[in-house]
Amino acid sequence: MAENKMQLSIVTPERLVVNEDVDQVNVPGIEGDLGILYDHASILTTMRPGQLSYESDGEKGRETIHMVVSGGYLEVTDNRVIVLAEAAEFLDQIDKERAKTALAKAEEVLADTDLSDDDFEKAQHKLFRAVARLENTEDN
Amino acid sequence: MANLKEIKRRIKSVKNTQQITKAMKLVSASKLRKAQEAIMSARPYALKLMDVLNHLSARCNKDLHPLLDDREGNRWLVVVITADRGLCGGFNGNIIRKTNRVIEENSDKEIQLITAGKKGHTIFKSRDNKILHDHSGWTRDFNYLKASEIGSTLASLYTEKAVDRVYVLYNEFKSVMQQEVILEQLLPIVPENMDAGKGAKVAVDYIYEPDEETILGTLLERYMTVEVYRAFLESSASEHGARMTAMDSASRNAGDMIGSLSLTYNKARQAYITKELIEIVNGAEALKA
Repeated sequence: MAENKMQLSIVTPERLVVNEDVDQVNVPGIEGDLGILYDHASILTTMRPGQLSYESDGEKGRETIHMVVSGGYLEVTDNRVIVLAEAAEFLDQIDKERAKTALAKAEEVLADTDLSDDDFEKAQHKLFRAVARLENTEDN
Repeated sequence: MANLKEIKRRIKSVKNTQQITKAMKLVSASKLRKAQEAIMSARPYALKLMDVLNHLSARCNKDLHPLLDDREGNRWLVVVITADRGLCGGFNGNIIRKTNRVIEENSDKEIQLITAGKKGHTIFKSRDNKILHDHSGWTRDFNYLKASEIGSTLASLYTEKAVDRVYVLYNEFKSVMQQEVILEQLLPIVPENMDAGKGAKVAVDYIYEPDEETILGTLLERYMTVEVYRAFLESSASEHGARMTAMDSASRNAGDMIGSLSLTYNKARQAYITKELIEIVNGAEALKA
């Protein structure tokens, strides 16, 4: 293990998605994006649905890997980064069509002005998620 | 003679049945493996979630959250998890029996049910039980998303004070041969479970975003959902285990039956041959004389 690496684990209820040593992690925190480097202070935060990326030394040298997470928690202690996400997908596995339908649906729901707070929150969550998924695919 | 033919037909039919039970056993075996894998891969998430919960609960005021609010009341909600299909030994029967016992023993309580699985649903529908929701067909494609839907339904029923206590009743996977019916309290969340890891980790100074209470609030619901998810996975593994054992013994019984039928068949054939021989010998003797 090289020096100044953090151990990143991304787990979802269905499986352990990532477990490796990385140099930097960027996560969508609830109050803004966070960039986490070596020796980051201990932190516990919730995440909003959005894009997460991490940098590590892969086979082809340094790589940045992008993922989409749908909310969850982030904990950093002693250079161990734990991401608890409800779902996490790698960029290249995203179904663009499905994301687009989800986006249209969420927008439709949000257009309704009589929405209860609860429903509004749910639809907004879905909208964030759809946007995050599409953004990633279009960037690349 | 007619007897011979009949035995032969029965052997053939038993053989067919045996083929079916053997195939079902193999299918269950592979499904069981998948179900066990699902349980294993759900474990890290649950453990890490527990970690976070433990350390948070040690530093916040836990009485505030509605999901922890232990109120007196006699409205119970029981989530009964059965299978969608039969042919799995006592799997469904055990759950149904236990449900009835729980209802009998707590006749002073007002018990509502949420059924998951066709088998349980058809039974409880035909009786006077109040079924709030039904999730028949869950075994076909179950994933965390479904569990979280059920979880949030339960949480909102509880916070709206429509029910005072939520239980889940399911088969826990002990081994392939053994399942145990478990009645587990989901809500209010029992604080003992959470205090288990208290003090183990002397907390470093954490930065919290947004703040401890809010994080704890969302965590609690998620924790409950994970419990629901686990119960469903356990039930699914148990179901396949139970079916595998049932089909294994069915195949074995069919084998025994084929054995004894073949014996009878051979005996009958032998008797028939002997009889014919005697007739020929007798005929020859008669001619000689």
